[in-house]
Amino acid sequence: MSPILVGPLTVAGISTFLALVIAILDKFLNNYGQLKISINGGKKELTVKGGSALLGTLGAEGIFVPSACGGRGSCGACKCKVITDVGPHLPTEMPYMSPRDIEDNIRLACQIKVRKDLAIELPEELFSIKKFQTRVESIKDLTYDIKEILLSIDGQTIEFQAGQYVQLVVPPYGEMPESVQRAYSMSSRPGDAKHVELLIRLVPGGIATTWVHKFLKEGDTVEVVGPFGEFRIHDTPASMICVAGGSGMAPFKSMLNHMHETGAFPEKEIWYFFGARTTKDMFYLDEMAALSASWPRFHFVPALSEPKPEENWKGEVGLITDVLDRYLQGNVDRAKGLEGYLCGSPGMINACINVMKRNGLTEDKIYFDKFA
Amino acid sequence: MNAPNVGILPLFLASILTSNILLANFLGTCSFISISKDFKSSMGLGIAVTMVIGLCSAICWAVLYFVIKPLGIEYLSFIIFIIVIAGVVQMLEMIIDRFSPSLYMALGIFLPLITVNCAVLGVILFMQIRNYNFVQAVVFGFGSGAGWWLSIMLLASIRTKLDKNNAIPAGLKGTGITLITIGFMAMAFIGFSGMIAVQ
Amino acid sequence: MKLRPAEIKAFERMRPGVITIQGFLGNDIRPPEEIIAEDEAEFARLGLDFETIASGLEKLRAAGERGLGEPISLGKFLVQTGDARGMLPCPYNDGLYHKNAVSVRAADQPFESCVEGEDMLVFSDLSIHLLRVHHFCQGRGSPFRLEPELLKKMAVSE
Repeated sequence: MSPILVGPLTVAGISTFLALVIAILDKFLNNYGQLKISINGGKKELTVKGGSALLGTLGAEGIFVPSACGGRGSCGACKCKVITDVGPHLPTEMPYMSPRDIEDNIRLACQIKVRKDLAIELPEELFSIKKFQTRVESIKDLTYDIKEILLSIDGQTIEFQAGQYVQLVVPPYGEMPESVQRAYSMSSRPGDAKHVELLIRLVPGGIATTWVHKFLKEGDTVEVVGPFGEFRIHDTPASMICVAGGSGMAPFKSMLNHMHETGAFPEKEIWYFFGARTTKDMFYLDEMAALSASWPRFHFVPALSEPKPEENWKGEVGLITDVLDRYLQGNVDRAKGLEGYLCGSPGMINACINVMKRNGLTEDKIYFDKFA
Repeated sequence: MNAPNVGILPLFLASILTSNILLANFLGTCSFISISKDFKSSMGLGIAVTMVIGLCSAICWAVLYFVIKPLGIEYLSFIIFIIVIAGVVQMLEMIIDRFSPSLYMALGIFLPLITVNCAVLGVILFMQIRNYNFVQAVVFGFGSGAGWWLSIMLLASIRTKLDKNNAIPAGLKGTGITLITIGFMAMAFIGFSGMIAVQ
Repeated sequence: MKLRPAEIKAFERMRPGVITIQGFLGNDIRPPEEIIAEDEAEFARLGLDFETIASGLEKLRAAGERGLGEPISLGKFLVQTGDARGMLPCPYNDGLYHKNAVSVRAADQPFESCVEGEDMLVFSDLSIHLLRVHHFCQGRGSPFRLEPELLKKMAVSE
């Protein structure tokens, strides 16, 4: 053989041989075989192929542990209790662990690889969570920064309680290299099992809201995962004092329509305080006014903090917390007791809790949607 | 060319003590300095390096005498050795990830960096230059690895005391004082040189 | 320009997908050390001081909090302090900061026409820290870019 070819061919041959050995070794080493995952003390048992992260492995079996970052280890939402010993906490898990978490064997599902049989604990509600393929039926502008998105579900139906939320799967777009998930409360009625409606407000610099406002079009397909959340109407005769502004209206729209349509919770009276800055920031005013006119147990109190004189605003004026304070002292009937329902940013929730406590509500009767 | 007349035991001891690949030949220092901060990782890395050097020495000897020399392609020996080293390190990384994920995480980037650890290629080239036979090559390989392992364990032990010492001036803390310490260790190991000479 | 290892690590963590998906560099082609150097020069030219501006941003954030998530007027500007769940680590590894987003825009400019980082200031607790301690204003094209001209307009008089 020509001496010039001998060299390169030998090098190629050795490289190929080594690559082959490595490939065979990889098949052998990374084949953990079929492993068993036992959830909640044997309530549910899965047989899975080992080697991948717990989050994805559970996802493939239809169990969706919440995750905002899609498994990259940067949100801490996928915490679950792993009873089997899987080694010490990894450096990638530590930023999200409190000392209590470490003691209780709480791990991040996206960082734990399934290499042996596992016993884990998950909250019960996760078992009713499904992934839905939907199509955008309509996008409506409610204000300059809030859109109403109506999604119709293909092939399945959704069962949820008014007040719950879904995780919207945002695909890579524009310059965003990866997919993320973000949580939004459902504003649609539980009775409409073929639709999911969301109220989404544009957050400056926000990845998901920018996608919805600038890229999403009617007819696009969107994945949602859900339902999640413990925010719901409590079955007591107490009156509901609801406070929300902007897209925080979503769970309340769902609750109000549900109660109006089905007559559920017939003893409860509902007060809804809706705060905004000017009339341009308000929406659904006509619908809410019509509802409160035809439904005696519903009272709608919109308040503007900075109405312009030319708007001729006839409603309440001031910060929503001040208006809430006034009404709790004056107009609200306390005969059956009071419950607080809040949806908004932590700052707003804390301010409202203070006003409510000052006016006699106890903290255990104030419910809020924590993720805003 | 004949294999040198060196017994197995003297060769093994020499590769650890008098011709320590790290302290006498100053090869393989970059991960030596970085990982010696932590004793447990040093233990892990030391074992990994020993395995790599020992295995590579054996495999490269076989490749040298059964492939390279017969085909007369000595001019390609460097690239072939490096490919073999890379392959062995790749396999070792997969094995460690499978059987000890915490060691895998602790070593981090330094596991694949064993590929470019000059101690490995250095040992193989010494083996080639000195015309060792197969047994000598294997002994020399594992011996040099053991020497590297011994050195990093010693340095890690010294550093656990040193890093707690506040008397060290700020400019020398960390890498500075470590390099000086390695120098002292090298000088101390010269004390072994009367024992056996293999280079 | 010679970089310290700590800086090299920090700049790596500013890329998209490491701490935040968008990263801190926008679509700026300049390397981070150049961004910092040019912004420092711009600050000097405009007569601004990093500590004073950082305090100014904190005052804006506090003022915005009174709006409880809705925009609130502050002089000629509208400030809106929003909150999100979670913490963000600083790329320089010297702290964890609460995730939030404060936006400041001119009251007479319609929201739809505002571009983040160009005529609407958007910042978080982490932005304030990066500005104050590391003189880093983020790359051009990042929605959280603190453009020195804009800072002079909005963060000084308060």
